[in-house]
Parts: sequence; structure tokens; C-alpha cells
Amino acid sequence: MPSLTFPLSRIEGHARVVIDVEGGEVRSASFQATEFRGFKRLVQGVPAEQMTVIVPRICGVCSTAHHIAAVKALEDAFGVEPPPLARTLRELLLLGQLIQNQATSLFIFTMPDRLGVSSILGPGRDTDADERSQIAKHALAVRRAGTRLITAAGGQFIHPVKAVVGGMTGGIDTDTARVVADELASQLLLACELIEIYARTSFELRERIGTWGDDAPAYYLTAVSDSLPNYDGDLLRLLGPDEAVSTFPASSHNEHLTYEQPDYSYSGRTNCRGEALRANSLARINMAESMGTPLADGYLKRFRDNFGRPAHAILLFDLARCIELVYAIERGMQILAMPLSDEDTDVPYKPKDGEGYGLVEAPRGPLIHHYVIENGLIADAEFVIPTVHNIKSIERALMVAARRYITGDKIDMELEQAVGRVVRAFDPCIACATH
Amino acid sequence: MKTFAVLQLAGCAGCEVSLLNADEWVGQYRLAYMPLVISAHDVPEVDLLLVSGGVRNEEDLYNLRRAAPRAGKVVAIGTCAISGGVPSLGDRDDVREVFLTDRRHHVPQLLPKCHPIDAVVPVDRYLPGCPPTPELFMALLTGPPGFKMSAIVCIECGRKKLRDMKPNRFTGFQRGEVEPGICLINQGFLCIGSSTRGGCRAPCPRAGHPCVGCRGPSDSLIEKESAAWLSSISRVISGLTDIPAADIDCELRSPHLSLFLFQFSDYSGPGRTPRPKEKVM
Repeated sequence: MPSLTFPLSRIEGHARVVIDVEGGEVRSASFQATEFRGFKRLVQGVPAEQMTVIVPRICGVCSTAHHIAAVKALEDAFGVEPPPLARTLRELLLLGQLIQNQATSLFIFTMPDRLGVSSILGPGRDTDADERSQIAKHALAVRRAGTRLITAAGGQFIHPVKAVVGGMTGGIDTDTARVVADELASQLLLACELIEIYARTSFELRERIGTWGDDAPAYYLTAVSDSLPNYDGDLLRLLGPDEAVSTFPASSHNEHLTYEQPDYSYSGRTNCRGEALRANSLARINMAESMGTPLADGYLKRFRDNFGRPAHAILLFDLARCIELVYAIERGMQILAMPLSDEDTDVPYKPKDGEGYGLVEAPRGPLIHHYVIENGLIADAEFVIPTVHNIKSIERALMVAARRYITGDKIDMELEQAVGRVVRAFDPCIACATH
Repeated sequence: MKTFAVLQLAGCAGCEVSLLNADEWVGQYRLAYMPLVISAHDVPEVDLLLVSGGVRNEEDLYNLRRAAPRAGKVVAIGTCAISGGVPSLGDRDDVREVFLTDRRHHVPQLLPKCHPIDAVVPVDRYLPGCPPTPELFMALLTGPPGFKMSAIVCIECGRKKLRDMKPNRFTGFQRGEVEPGICLINQGFLCIGSSTRGGCRAPCPRAGHPCVGCRGPSDSLIEKESAAWLSSISRVISGLTDIPAADIDCELRSPHLSLFLFQFSDYSGPGRTPRPKEKVM
């Protein structure tokens, strides 16, 4: 039997899955990223302070996370502490990105798998076209609220510019804050309605296919704290299969994580003591004591009542995103109610040579930028990408799915759908993973 | 109903994400292909093909050559597809080595450099920006009556140029307190909004960050060689500051200055004819 190649869609970037079968037996499943632009090399020689403009271009979906990680890496190298208001504004930026990302992943990337259509936006022949176009309209509105929040805090929603070394170029005036908060408030209701549809159709899917997917324990990695998670991360937290949590700073990631480079992909692959590692929503939810906002805590309780803690099945990554979408909207509204323009947003600093690490919790997990600066120029740069942490877990889950649907000399056609669901549960970002 | 498709080559998906915020086309077009949001594995015949990203590897080349003849019109979207953008920083000898020597199995082979799409197929229209704003996408797709754009970013910025606030040195690329309402050049920033095509509504300078020129050169400069643009930028900075001409020149010619990524990459490369301004939005 030849190897089976599955092109992928409804994910960010170019990738495919290849499953090798021999004598009716699934031999391997590989996740192949097929694009590469070479950011690690091409930023060498760039003036360090321009990194905040250049590296967001690694990815238009995750540009906010790269923007802030770059600023934090430079601040670490220069020894600068941004003022409290700047930190708050950066938290808002990351919340806006989380709203935009989780709404996109849930309602644009993975909702079609629940509804049995190719897209919520594209052409369709299904009988529920009206309901679908209503879902599409609401989905776009919810994600747009996230983009408005990024624009207010960051200047523009793709490749934002307002985070600078030492702080932010400015705050958010009261009128703008009120407009954005009002929009978030109205989108919160729509988001909750969409989540009900999403949860219902997810349980129907579970009924139909008989599984929530690969549910073996794994390592989990995040950079957020226990309650009222602040995505402007401080330390990395690693949850082991024995349920013990260890913490470490970004600068020692190499001591805890092992990186390999498969020759069939432009993306690397992380493992933890040889085992699969998982980042993204399920890692954060498994480690969260509570969310700290009322509606999100309600959704968290519902999730725990159904699936326990820690939960391992991969389709729960999607349901965990629902909790985070609600949290990010609620938390965004809370912060927008505070004064955001009456204090200094930046402190003076002097650039200097050296080394710095910048850590943020991006929607897909902890993102680390590491720069070495010589004569004011970037001498070396390292981008530790959350999607890369998930590749081994994606491949493990693909093996589980492949063995479920390939038996003897038969292939169940559900396999193609399953491959898409497995990959999308991890919401991989290929532009970031390969950079 | 007219149809359109979005072909993503080597880029960051920022153009696609911006397009998602511009959904007013929904009643006028049918979106036939866009892998980011639709499971469909081949570009069908369409009225309009939007192409984002540069041609970085063999698969990009194949996909572009295959898709373009099926489209009534081809539009190059965003800086990467038009002139290389940030990934074109890789077009230096020391970096090119990576692309020439990386020979992995099973993945599309890399080309020695990232090409603009009009090096491969004829292009009917260009929409520059990194990424183009949702408003510009809507203007491209639906041409709403009343849509106007200014010749340069400066006009859309709204910051006041002052005759009596003249710094004598650059404050750095993006450093220090930013005074609201006052031209960034008056504050010593290297802002190139005076030579950059308008239409974006100047989100960066409005937010206190100098324009880095992602929309590319304005109509009055786009068909000229880079020396004309440099002297135009230099003239504006001399008029608004007391910075010595040699310092301005030095800063503008700094080899890795980010504005070069956007304004000059490939527009001014040897053997390339400039894009006619009528085709550029």
C-alpha cells in the first residue's frame, strides 16, 4: 500500500500530512511543513531596535505576539523595565489577539468539521445555508472585536507598532476605550451563542465518531499564571504526566526541552524527555486554577465536570478555546474600564550590546525570542515557536487516528476528515513554525 | 455573481487576515478558493485571482503558473507579492547560501531568491501594503463610490509640520517620548510618509510610530529610480530639521534600514521595469 498524502486547509500556512502504511499496518504519520523564509538568518545584521517592526512579519496571524516578544527581548538585553501602564496595554494587545485567534480557530477553521461543510464562508450546497451564513456573520463580528482591541492598543491589528522598547508610544483615551468595551460587550453575547452551537455540534461529532481523539497523557507547557491569566508571560510552567509542575525561565528552555529537525519538514519538533509535549489552549486550561472572570469560570466548571483535570483528548483543545475566548472578552472589558492614558507609558533607556530573552504566551503557547546584540546589530536570533512544541503530539494523534481508520487492507474514508480534525485541534501556525 | 480566489504563496497570511476584516464583498462575490478558510485543493476558473506572498520555492512557482491562466484578472496583493517585503532581506549573499544549500527530502526545494509574482506571470493590478488595510481590500473588490486616497501618507497622517521645531540629530528609529499632534520628523524620527503611497490612513504615524513605507513609493516616484526617492525624503527632512545633510544621507543609506525592505526592494533592481502607476492602487 502506498503512502497516503493529505493536503491541509483551514490552518495557517502550507503543510501536509503523510501516513505510511505497510502490509495493512500503519508505520508512521508525519506532519510536513512545506514553506520556509529564513527569518533566523535574514535578521542577522539588522539594527536591533528595528526587530519590533520586522519580526511581526513572521506571521500575520500571530504578529502581536511576535511584536511584544521582540520588545521584551530587547528590554531584557538593555535592562529596561517598562512602566505598569505599558504592561497593562500589552496585556490588552495579547487579549485582543487571543479573541481574534480563538474566534478564527473555533468558528472559521473547525466549525465546518462539526457542520460537515467545506467552509462557513465559501460556496455551499448544504440545506442549512441560512443558518451557516448567520454563523459566518457572527463569527466574523466576534473576531473583528478582537482586531478592534488590538488596533486601539497597538495602532493597527496586523503588525502592530505601539509597543516600543521602554513601554508603549501611547495609551488609550477614555472615549476610544468606551467604544471598544461596548463592542466587546455586545460580541460577548454573540460569542456565547456561537459557543453553544459549537459545543452541541462537538458532542454530536463525538457521538458520530465515537471518540474525542488521542487521550494519552503528555507533557503540557504554558507561560501563564494560575488565575486571571496574563499572556504577557513571566516563567514557563511544565506539567508532567505525573501531574507535577516545574517552572523555569525562558533562558533555560534548552535544559528542559529537546529540539530535533526532521528532514521531511521545514519545521522543527520538540520533545520533553523523549515524550510528546503539548502547548496551546489545553495546556493552559489544564494548569489553570480558575479563570477569574464570571462567565469564563462557568465554562471552565462545565469543562471540568465533563472531562476532569487534567484532560487529555485532543478535540478538547477546541472546547478549551471556548473558555479562553469568553475570558479574553471579559478581561478585556475589565481592563478597558480602568484609566489607560493618565500615566507615563514609557521610560527612557540606553541601548546596549548583550543578550536578551522575550517570553509571551501566544494563542498557540509560549513564544520565546532570543537575541544576541553586537555593535547595535543582531548577531544571532532564535525564535522558539509554540507550534513546534506540538508537532510530536500532532504526529502521535495522527497515528492514533490512522490506526483507527486503517485496518487490514481497508481504509475508512473518515480518515481524511479525522486528519483535518486532529491537525486543527492543535491550530498549528506554519508561517511561525518555519519562519 | 463574480468569483474570486486567494492564492497564498510564501508570506505571513497577514493579507488574508486583513481580507477577513473586509467582508463587504460577501453580496457581490463568491469566494471560490482560499485554503485559509475553505477546504478546496485547486484553484477553479475565477474572475479575479488575488495572489499574496512571494515566489520562494518550487511549489509556489508551480501553483502560481497553474492558477494564473484560470483567472480573468490577476492582482498582486501585499508587499511580498509585489516587491519581496521582509522576506527579501534574504536576498543577500550570506543568507542566500542557506537557500542554495538546504536540500531537504520530501519538501519543495527552495529557489535561490524570493521573486515577485510579476517575474513569473503577467499582473493586471497591484495592491501594495504590509498588509493592505481592510478598506483598501474593499476598494479593490467593490470600488465603493466615494473612496478616495491621498497621494502620500503625510496627507493622511494629520500631524502638524512645524517650522520652528528643528532637531539637530535623529532621535533614533523608534525611541523616546512621542508628542501628540506634531510631525514625527520635527521630533527627530526618520519617518518616510512623505514619499510613501497613501490610502492606508496612516495608522503607524497616527499611533506614534514612523512610517516605514510599506505601501511603497507614491505615484510621483514609482516610475523613477531610487536616487530620486532618496533625495525627495532627504529634502523633506532637511526642511523640517537642522540635521546635517551628511547625517541624513548616512541614515537613509544604512544598508538594513527597514524602509528599504518596503520601498526599494526589487522596484529598483537591475533589469526590472517599473510598475506603471496606473496599475497600482
